[in-house]
Amino acid sequence: MAAVREIEPIVLDLNRLEQMAESGYYNPYTMFDWPDSIEPDKPWMSENLTTLAGTPMWDELTREQQIALTRWEAVNFFSLNIHGIRELMSEVVMRIHEKTYAHVSEFLHHFIGEENEHMWFFAQFCLRYGGKLYPAQPTLKVASADHLSPVAREMIVFARILIFEEIVDYYNSYMATDQTLPPIAREINRVHHQDESRHVAFGRMIFQNLLGQVMKRDPDEVPLIAEYLENYLQYSIGTLYNPAAYRDAGIPDALALRRRALEHPARIEAHDKILKRTRSFLSKVGAGREVIRR
Amino acid sequence: MSDPIQAVRDFIIERNPKLGEVPDDLDLIDSRAINSLAFVEFIFLLEELTGEPIDPEALDLDDFRTLAAIQARFFSQKASL
Repeated sequence: MAAVREIEPIVLDLNRLEQMAESGYYNPYTMFDWPDSIEPDKPWMSENLTTLAGTPMWDELTREQQIALTRWEAVNFFSLNIHGIRELMSEVVMRIHEKTYAHVSEFLHHFIGEENEHMWFFAQFCLRYGGKLYPAQPTLKVASADHLSPVAREMIVFARILIFEEIVDYYNSYMATDQTLPPIAREINRVHHQDESRHVAFGRMIFQNLLGQVMKRDPDEVPLIAEYLENYLQYSIGTLYNPAAYRDAGIPDALALRRRALEHPARIEAHDKILKRTRSFLSKVGAGREVIRR
Repeated sequence: MSDPIQAVRDFIIERNPKLGEVPDDLDLIDSRAINSLAFVEFIFLLEELTGEPIDPEALDLDDFRTLAAIQARFFSQKASL
């Protein structure tokens, strides 16, 4: 956190986003109608968003396994949300009253508050209907961006938050209107999508501000940042393929299946679709994968 | 796979083509050949090669530092059985 002092103060025009956060404020603890149980034949996640969708591996499953996979992958998706929120909240909390962030502190309060509420309803869903969360995946206790300058590392903190939110939003926006899902699953996705549109707008603004600071100090660092971000996109996609979810769905050879699925052309096409919006944005601001020096 | 340590080597080279080769004593973590973003994939690979789950709570970083350490920790016992 000493690094924050080396960053120029972040000044953004957030009036509109703050007004929207205030006018759209809701009580998450009372707004959802949680049924005691979910009908056994309903998927919890849209079938074509599962990690085997579009491959023969999906067709080879029994209907029972297919439904089970939608359920455990929904629990995995919401668990990833929870762990992602834990990471981003701790980062933002440590910055909220630093001088660098004084101008955006008002919005950061809305941001943290809303993220805490999202974490609550995601966990409610997992625990009520799945009986558990999946644990966070193992990480090296060594920072992965140590080779970058302080301002670039600061930018990476917000880039990770933004990328995570954009990927999640791809799923939320689709499931918000998927009529095959039980209403509670649809509703959680819809509410999250609504809040995240503001968070993504903020995330893009702060990312551009910090990227601008990096470019001003050392433009040669941008290819390294682009490389990190591309690796982070790939890493994020990988987390959606959780062998534990395959095992819980009663599918054998979970690790080999995961490897086959990740490499399948239909899935690579699906990944490109999921990442399209984020990649276009990164390219537009000059930090896309095309600037990586191979 | 007949030689699991070769599969580990291939995994590292594929992600770090500039390395060219991976000496047995190269510190994979300090050299960033395996960074935290690749770590999950690396654990899954080792689980698949050994057929044994790896408890994320009980990870000792030194078991992953070099190919020699990986060989000793994950593949030697099995080979001698």
